Amino acid sequence: MSFNSAANTTASSLSAESLSSLDANSKKDISTFIESENAKQKVQMSIHQLTNTCFKSCITNVSDPDLSSQDQQCLANCVNRFLDTNIRLVKGLQNIQ
Amino acid sequence: MGFFSKSSSTSNEGQNQPKVESSPVANQIKTQIAQELAVANATELVSKLTENCFKKCLMAPYDSKNETCVDQCLTKYMKSWNAVSKAYVARIQEASTTGEI
Repeated sequence: MSFNSAANTTASSLSAESLSSLDANSKKDISTFIESENAKQKVQMSIHQLTNTCFKSCITNVSDPDLSSQDQQCLANCVNRFLDTNIRLVKGLQNIQ
Repeated sequence: MGFFSKSSSTSNEGQNQPKVESSPVANQIKTQIAQELAVANATELVSKLTENCFKKCLMAPYDSKNETCVDQCLTKYMKSWNAVSKAYVARIQEASTTGEI
């Protein structure tokens, strides 16, 4: 797919020497950047997963492209029940240990 | 907070932090990381969109009526994405203030 080929070409554009010549400040800068991007990416992926799950259970017809107020309520409830379940399961696992 | 506004804010993140002299190589690496994350997010979105809208719209062999359905489904999915994002962020913020998690 075109997406993958684009990712591969950008990945190879940095030379090994330029990477090894990075000073401590730049390394720290990059690692801070990666950490924050990582956290954002986790949220982003959770939203992808939740939208996938909740769209399936809440949206029954797409003949109207706008979300009705019931749709919106259903999506919000779906997210909250999913997180309730997640929190309860984590607590349950902690009790088993 | 929408899908597109969120991904575009990614590249501006460094502006809130104190200015540190970054080498061009470091900036190049950061740009590359941000780009690849944007690609990963777009790929994920397209995959989930296709899965859901295929299921909702393609009941019978392809005919032109389904194109309208797919377009409407796209709009509705993006609106759902934004609604879910809003609910998720609100819940996480609430949970972090009350100490739920």
